[in-house]
Amino acid sequence: MPILKDFRYHAPVSVDEALALLRKCEKPVVLAGGTFVLNTLKKTAAYPTDVIGLRKIAPLHGIRDTARETAIGSMTTLAEIASSPVIREHFAVLAEAAARAATTPLRHMATIGGNVASRFFWVDLPVVLMALGAKAAWSGVKTKKTLTIEDFLALTGQEARGILTEIVLPKSGLTGVYFRHTQTIEVDVPIVAIAFAARRQADAVKDVRCIVNTTLSRPVRLAGTASYFETTDIKKWKAAEAAEALRGDLQQSKLDDYRLHCLCADLELLIGKFKQT
Amino acid sequence: MKTVTLDVNGKVFCLDVPDGELLIETLRDRLGLLGTKYSCLEGDCGVCTVLADGKNVLSCLMLTVEAEGRKIMTIEGLTQGSSLHPIQQAFIDEGAVQCGFCTPGMVLASKSLLDRCPLPTKEEIAHALDGNLCRCTGYVRIINAVLSAAQKMKKTS
Repeated sequence: MPILKDFRYHAPVSVDEALALLRKCEKPVVLAGGTFVLNTLKKTAAYPTDVIGLRKIAPLHGIRDTARETAIGSMTTLAEIASSPVIREHFAVLAEAAARAATTPLRHMATIGGNVASRFFWVDLPVVLMALGAKAAWSGVKTKKTLTIEDFLALTGQEARGILTEIVLPKSGLTGVYFRHTQTIEVDVPIVAIAFAARRQADAVKDVRCIVNTTLSRPVRLAGTASYFETTDIKKWKAAEAAEALRGDLQQSKLDDYRLHCLCADLELLIGKFKQT
Repeated sequence: MKTVTLDVNGKVFCLDVPDGELLIETLRDRLGLLGTKYSCLEGDCGVCTVLADGKNVLSCLMLTVEAEGRKIMTIEGLTQGSSLHPIQQAFIDEGAVQCGFCTPGMVLASKSLLDRCPLPTKEEIAHALDGNLCRCTGYVRIINAVLSAAQKMKKTS
């Protein structure tokens, strides 16, 4: 007996062709690296009529670097991001997050586009991309637009029907750090994660972004925590004060005590790491 | 149904497969390559590992139609004539095989590593094999086998 029920598979060679299929097919699903979609198909009752594979769309592959920004094609794998000299030089925190996500064979298959567009709560890259101020180039079935990662993740229904073509990272001189908290071994799915990015200026930091992945909902931007770090001299940063700001930011999130405790400890660790960069 | 041309272990096969067929099903049930194992079917255990263009990937998470155009290698393609590949031999010599169920995946993941990093450290080996589970050996002998294979392959080259 086959593992998957059958569907019609399409291999468009351009984004426009893929969009035309998305408009035409009854219940289509877009396939990037396959690590989420094919697993979901083994379990779902809402089965698609058509699967649209993006593998043969050449412009979706690879990394394009210019003086002002770096664009990562949505079909670029996590392994390619982790080993890319360009990403390692300009966005080391993204290379690190990509290298630690999942396992080696999954990193060889999973793509940045799938990682973001899957909208699974526990995936690694969205928080890091948000901290780095990345934008998502989105070709929807109705319109093309460029969105912040937050706005992209918030798309629902018909609005979320389309192709994520690339992730664009501005070269804004931010230093970023990331920590994923797993309960047992490193390859586990994290229970929480934090990304922190800022521009360092002598004993102060500017443009602080502190993003939390609670793994229970979409990533949360910690405005109060960021403000604490921006308004306090680096030498006077105190873990207890930062933790208080973090708890304030997450007051409405109804996060359990264990995750909150982990996040406070992780933030302290992360700040230590940031100071050393 | 789709007609696909697959390059498996250096041989070209032209097959008619359902659009939803997974590569593991084609390899085992159509081509009889039983070294690639069915197990978790969720990408967690690594026993269905094959090499696609030299990289270790999971055949339970790849559609056969998407394997077209890639060079697929299974454990059966690693043996050179009647002699074992140095990685296979090192697994035997170091006692890195017990029940043997994970071994094809472990060996292929090791090959993918050694092809891009000929002299890895223990940490690099552990990281490279993080997608392959073994419930028998405790990994120590597997890591020793990869270290040993790397040394032998360096001498040979």
